[in-house]
Amino acid sequence: MPTLTVNGKEVTVEKGSTVIQAAEKLGFDIPRYCYHPGLSIAGNCRMCLVEIEKFPKLQIACHTQVQDGMVVKTESDVVKKTREHILEFLLVNHPLDCPVCDQAGECWLQNYYMKHGLYDSRLDEDKVKKSKAVSIGPTVMLDSERCILCSRCVRFTDEITKTSELGIFNRGDHSEIGIYPGRELNNKYSGNVVDICPVGALTDKDFRFKCRVWYLKASPSVCTGCSMGCNIEIHYQLERKHIAGGDRVMRFKPRENEEVNKWWICDEGRYGYPFIDKNRIHKPCRRVPDPVSKDGQKDMSPIPWDKALDMAAQKIKEIPKDAWAVLASPQMTNEELYLAKKVFGDTLGLAISLVSPNREGYSDDFLIKADKNPNTRGAFELGYNVLKTQLEEMVRKAEAGKIRGLYVFGQDLYEFLKPETAEKIFGPCELLIFQGTNWNPTAARASLVLPSAVFAEQDGTFTNFQRRVQRIFKALEPMGESKPGWEILAGLSERAGRKLSYKETHEIFDEIAAAVPVFQGLTYTKIGKKGAVLA
Amino acid sequence: MPPKTKVIKQRELNFLEKLYIPEVIRGVCITSGHFFKNLTLHSLHRIGLLRHIAAAVTIMYPEIKRRYPHRYRTRHRLTKRDDGTPRCVACMMCETVCPAKCIYIVAEENPDPNIEKQPKTFDIDLGKCIYCGFCVEACPEDAIRMDTQIMNIAGYTRESMYYTKDRLLNPEREGDIVKPSGSLR
Amino acid sequence: MIIEVLIKAVLAFIVLFSVLSFAGLHAWIERKQSAVMQDRIGANRASIFGFTLLGLFHPIADAIKLFMKEDFIPEGANKVLHTLAPCLSLVFAFAAFASIPFGDVLRIGGREITLQIANINVGLLYVLAMMSMGVYGVVLAGFSSNSNYAFLGGLRAASQMLSYEIAMGVSLIGLIMVYGTVDLQEIVRRQGEFRLFGLQAWGILTQPLAFFIFLTAGIAETKRIPFDMPEGESEIVGYFVEYSGMKFGMYMFADFIETILIACLTTTLFFGGWQVPFMHAPAAYSLGFALLQVLSFVVKVVFFAWLFMTIRWTLPRFRYDQLLSLGWKAMFPLSLANILVTALILLIRR
Repeated sequence: MPTLTVNGKEVTVEKGSTVIQAAEKLGFDIPRYCYHPGLSIAGNCRMCLVEIEKFPKLQIACHTQVQDGMVVKTESDVVKKTREHILEFLLVNHPLDCPVCDQAGECWLQNYYMKHGLYDSRLDEDKVKKSKAVSIGPTVMLDSERCILCSRCVRFTDEITKTSELGIFNRGDHSEIGIYPGRELNNKYSGNVVDICPVGALTDKDFRFKCRVWYLKASPSVCTGCSMGCNIEIHYQLERKHIAGGDRVMRFKPRENEEVNKWWICDEGRYGYPFIDKNRIHKPCRRVPDPVSKDGQKDMSPIPWDKALDMAAQKIKEIPKDAWAVLASPQMTNEELYLAKKVFGDTLGLAISLVSPNREGYSDDFLIKADKNPNTRGAFELGYNVLKTQLEEMVRKAEAGKIRGLYVFGQDLYEFLKPETAEKIFGPCELLIFQGTNWNPTAARASLVLPSAVFAEQDGTFTNFQRRVQRIFKALEPMGESKPGWEILAGLSERAGRKLSYKETHEIFDEIAAAVPVFQGLTYTKIGKKGAVLA
Repeated sequence: MPPKTKVIKQRELNFLEKLYIPEVIRGVCITSGHFFKNLTLHSLHRIGLLRHIAAAVTIMYPEIKRRYPHRYRTRHRLTKRDDGTPRCVACMMCETVCPAKCIYIVAEENPDPNIEKQPKTFDIDLGKCIYCGFCVEACPEDAIRMDTQIMNIAGYTRESMYYTKDRLLNPEREGDIVKPSGSLR
Repeated sequence: MIIEVLIKAVLAFIVLFSVLSFAGLHAWIERKQSAVMQDRIGANRASIFGFTLLGLFHPIADAIKLFMKEDFIPEGANKVLHTLAPCLSLVFAFAAFASIPFGDVLRIGGREITLQIANINVGLLYVLAMMSMGVYGVVLAGFSSNSNYAFLGGLRAASQMLSYEIAMGVSLIGLIMVYGTVDLQEIVRRQGEFRLFGLQAWGILTQPLAFFIFLTAGIAETKRIPFDMPEGESEIVGYFVEYSGMKFGMYMFADFIETILIACLTTTLFFGGWQVPFMHAPAAYSLGFALLQVLSFVVKVVFFAWLFMTIRWTLPRFRYDQLLSLGWKAMFPLSLANILVTALILLIRR
């Protein structure tokens, strides 16, 4: 284990690591463009040049392996001057079109210019013109003029997706990133090139011109698109209602987690945010014969929460217990699943089962999992039967006319049942209560609709396929009158005669930790932002 | 170090000034001097004499408008390119800097890749605007200016104070009421 | 007897009509004179069939506007007092004119008509009393409005008017000593008869100090700049802040009428009233000479009205403590000294 000195401080790092990593360990931020911890080292941007004693010239910190007794200076005058000059070179052909560039605000050319540049331009020559605003795939726009040829994107397609759509073409001043003839950047992870591009050369089509990045606020969360549970940041803005038609969430960005998704996220997860703002259920609704709907939905009339919960509790009592089916969903958080079991199973004495849509989709050996639910594993660990036979059993029971009451959590039964089968279930059913976030055919069929908050609007935990418990954080207020699922369940419990005194979700989680052995010893603080594996 | 204080002594009034009345008379002499001079001039003007000496500095406002100093901040306008399209590239600098939050821009694609971005809607709610001029200073494209010399901005409804891109681009067409389009906040 | 009543009624009508018209004109004079003094043009937009008549329609437009406005009585205000207050101000201001002589005795058809509505032998006291009553209108306005601003304005007005009335009253004692009467008609007459260095002994010559004290106190009585603390329209909010429409108009009107009243009093007491300078009253009073006397009176009054307006548009407002210390520490002792000096001189001359 070599020991070296960086800016007068000693540090011991593993053999084979580089100077940039050693400096990072000490908290010295060496500017870089081409270096990315998830990719191979190219060493072509020259931004990370540092002074190392006994070397005749400056060395790139990203590719110089540490040696015992090395003395590194990252902030000496010559290093500073060099950075300034390197930046001047990188910006020689830069079009300076920050006003129209979506990267402005999170651009490393801007950041480093303000930190290390601040020179007056000496360029008298004409800038080299290259192609602008080129669509290179379904998700990404390319602007060659802004590119500084760090080659991060090329290495990403070569090394991570191994699809190799991108390459560097031409020579010298005329070098530019481009797509190989006849190809387009359409792999399942294409959005990541936008994240790793340090400048505005690659920008997101979905986010294009939607919002300026300095309007955005970020909140950590976990992707709910599949059982991988990729760590994400929810980028949202609430102040400017004229942007994107009043939507709150602007985009998802991956959040680094070495154990789960590294720095990446698949496109399906990245663009899977619109349901947070679109087609939401705003108010509790009751089915009425009146054809005019006030919530934009046919035959639905909004009612106050109190009335809705009273009605639900009343009907649950009226229908015999064995004629009830409660269908929990692996989209629910651990806390909601636990509470659903507690309220419906223990307090009300109803049979509660977990149904999982049969929508197994694309999967690979990287980030995309076939199970498109974030918390199937969590449900299993909490004692739910997650076998697919559950559903068939329920259908059989329904066809025999034995189900008169149905309580559905969020899922659209039409999605995994044939329409005629679904009709067979819904037909004889006296009462269908739907507790969910968005309108779907099942919700439209329900007698009582209880709007619940989406994952971005509440706290909680998911357990991914690795048995890693990860927290989600409340970024937004619940839309309209909707409430977090656990609050609705607590309301039902109170009406069934058992008052629950939860104020925050961590109280529920502490109860889980006490009741379920595999969760033992876990708390929200222990899970933190990176998650914790179950015992 | 104690802060530097400069003591300024007030001039002592002399005896006559302390009496006050002589000073009052002096003041009244000055004002009544103007009064009689102007009264004479006004009377002479009536019969057509000494018209070249002005008796009043008044500018008869709605009929005669004076040009305001060129740095004076009047109603906004959006400048145009040679082909008549707005110079604005919807960078939202003005929207960001606006302390009254009265600028609402929605961007869209411009077919010309060298322009790339343009405002789909560009609205200013002049009912909220405080005329600070930050938007003009922030603009990197010289696309918004406050040099229309239009001062009489008033309306009977809030909507009429809501200026859309079309109205801002054509300040010369003042007087026509354009209904606001796009998002109204 | 009926003839007597008729004559008095006609006289009263003439005085009331002239005062009202002149007060109405004041609104116009105020605008136009300030404009001309300040190199402006002044209000000139109101027109009937395109005629603007030097802006003379503006007072009419004002009156129409004031009559059309909502008469607003604030919640919690005393309705009776709130309505009564402006009327009191106006009534007492008018009443004071009853004893102002605007001419000598007119002889028509063997009948002697004194050109004065009420020939009261304590006329001066009557006028001072009526002016003192004026403070009620102001105080009641502040008191009945149920507003702290109005209340404070009313208090400011009360203390200001009381302070200056004392100085005003005391300053006139010297005058009474010189002329030996409190009958206003008689005072005017004696100003013509007495001689001082061969000139008619007008009050300004016999009592110069009293004149300045009276003038200052008089302006303070009218509550106009530089003594407009009670009103302070532009910033400090006065006693009539809760008034609107014509009730507010009545206060403005009372202000103008008081200005005219002070102008009349100054003329009567210090500038020989209806006396025509350098002309002795002929033995036989002709109608022409009587009219000349009235004209002389009117010219003097107009001059003082102009002077007050000029002062009002020349000086800035006093600070309140300055105002009170001027009243109590300067004008009151000075007027006392004035009595002493007058008494001494009278004693020596005897």
